Amino acid sequence: MKKQIILFTLLSFCFGKVRVVTSTTDLADIVKTIGGDRVTVTSIARGNQDPHYVEILPSYMFKVKKADIYFMVGMELDLWAKSIINGSRNRHIDVVDCSIEIEKMEIPTGTVDARMGDIHRFGNPHYWLDPKNGKRIAKLIAEKLTNAEPKSSDLFRQNLDAFNLQLDKAILDWEKRFVNLQGKKLIYYHNSWPYFSNFFGLETVEFLEPKPGITPSPAKLNHIIQRIKSDDIMVIASESYFSDRVPKFIASKTGVKTVKLAQSVGAMEGADSYIHLFETNLKILSQAFGVEHD
Amino acid sequence: MLQKLVGGLIFSGILFSQTTANPQFSVIGDLVMDQINDSPKLSSSGVEIAIQGNVNPFARADVYLHKHNDESPIELEEAVLTIERGLPLGLGLRLGKFRPDLGRINKVHAHLFPFIEAPTGMKKVLGEEFWAPTGVEANILLPLPWYSNVSVGYFDSGIRGDIHEGEGESHDLEQNHDHNHGEEKQDFALSGRWSHFFDLNDINHIEIGTSGYLGDKNILIGADLKYKWRPNKYKSLTLEVEIFQYACWDDGPEDLYQNNCTGTYYGMVNYQFNKSYNIGVIGEVWVHQEEDEISPALFIGYSPVEESAVFRLKIGQVNHFYLPGEDKIKQDLIVTAQLIWSLGPHKPHRY
Repeated sequence: MKKQIILFTLLSFCFGKVRVVTSTTDLADIVKTIGGDRVTVTSIARGNQDPHYVEILPSYMFKVKKADIYFMVGMELDLWAKSIINGSRNRHIDVVDCSIEIEKMEIPTGTVDARMGDIHRFGNPHYWLDPKNGKRIAKLIAEKLTNAEPKSSDLFRQNLDAFNLQLDKAILDWEKRFVNLQGKKLIYYHNSWPYFSNFFGLETVEFLEPKPGITPSPAKLNHIIQRIKSDDIMVIASESYFSDRVPKFIASKTGVKTVKLAQSVGAMEGADSYIHLFETNLKILSQAFGVEHD
Repeated sequence: MLQKLVGGLIFSGILFSQTTANPQFSVIGDLVMDQINDSPKLSSSGVEIAIQGNVNPFARADVYLHKHNDESPIELEEAVLTIERGLPLGLGLRLGKFRPDLGRINKVHAHLFPFIEAPTGMKKVLGEEFWAPTGVEANILLPLPWYSNVSVGYFDSGIRGDIHEGEGESHDLEQNHDHNHGEEKQDFALSGRWSHFFDLNDINHIEIGTSGYLGDKNILIGADLKYKWRPNKYKSLTLEVEIFQYACWDDGPEDLYQNNCTGTYYGMVNYQFNKSYNIGVIGEVWVHQEEDEISPALFIGYSPVEESAVFRLKIGQVNHFYLPGEDKIKQDLIVTAQLIWSLGPHKPHRY
């Protein structure tokens, strides 16, 4: 009888985990941190992939088929998730939009149409790049995991508290170590970074894309080159999935430094967790601007 | 009075709820320049209008209308209710007029072909605009360790492609606007497909499928394979092969070999090498009792702004052969340029 109880307990721990699928690796990393060994988690998009465009593969539907919860970014970033969830025919899945508690930036006003490029009607969806939003996401994830497995609520609460503490410490540390980045002007390839820039005090001067999702035109490149020269801009930063060709062309004309930043966990070496994502990007920018950091 | 007031409130409530949950509207249009040997021709296939949206949390509806660029009325291509969630055993259902899950190609709308036009042999079998009968189709994901889907459908009309038309005219490449003459009322038709999808790793995928169809006076079996290598957003290599073997009869299956039997095959390789460009080759083979056709072609695609506008160019040669024992009798050099554009979420995308 004792053996049976031990076997049952072992089986329930091995096979009774909360099965989670997320749209992005950032959400997956936070789920893993909060859920610990009580969850299995899979991300649909890879860290080095553009989360706007994910090819809907049947194997993704297969992954979602047996999941208990799907965490999506929302705000029309991962519209593809809907097709995957529906294609999975999972009747019981809890689909959670992680943007619901976020203070949204850049909500467009007036008529929104294709003249504005690939614009998001509900605001800029790259909100996980503000570490304070990481705490909001983690809170929501802990609530949903608790709903799915109430018996592990204490564990999820402890992990949430530990995550918040670790993130608060990291934020204090970043604010001290990278204070010299504040007010630095830079050009981004795509408008993925308003939350990041806003939090760390960086000043976004331009984007290489004339409109979101639109390839830089020769006229736009000429304008950027003139702007770099006139405003003494030192850095162009782009997401890891963009080609180097355009930034390097501009660098060859102006001497501006070009860097790639990790837009998601796993996008680049070093960015192997949600907290390391910020650490990696801040170090890259400090080196590019030539400012001191510990 | 109270009843009228309540009725009015309910009616206005329904109206309001409809305006807050509008379906998505999309329009796709094109301009095509064909040059067969020395005679260029400018045309448009008209516009496709797509109306799509969720009916409720469990089902969605898709309506596709086509207005050809001629005097013909607006044509209903598809109007289908798809129950995606909520049914037991992970069952999915499609009901209405739609393109059944028969082979890879039958479900693909023409504007999605990187090679501009559907392979000739496929059109001869499935009809100019492919097979879109009215019926019901059930599909289920099998409880296997990989994605394995089975679809089975019952329909009110069967396949009736160009092969049933005047045989002597079947190689006339200018019969482009004979809409949906590929369908003819029959007693019934059954079709099914079993497909499997394998992730070899994060960037390599294979999909294989087998299909079968049984109509009142015809039968079809098919097999298809697709391999895709996609290391990043802007680079991919796709290899696609599909085979149909088709037979029809007039008096009964016993005179099958006295009537129409055909095999049609195509193979395609498409390489997307940056954000805007793709290039590929396609080889099409159509084998029939009285005529064979082999058509190799090169195609190039240019998509300046994601998938909202695409320019495609295809240069190919159609080789007609008459059997038995005769040599090549006719060759056509065909150059086709296509500009295709879209409004709304239904795009001529390259996935």
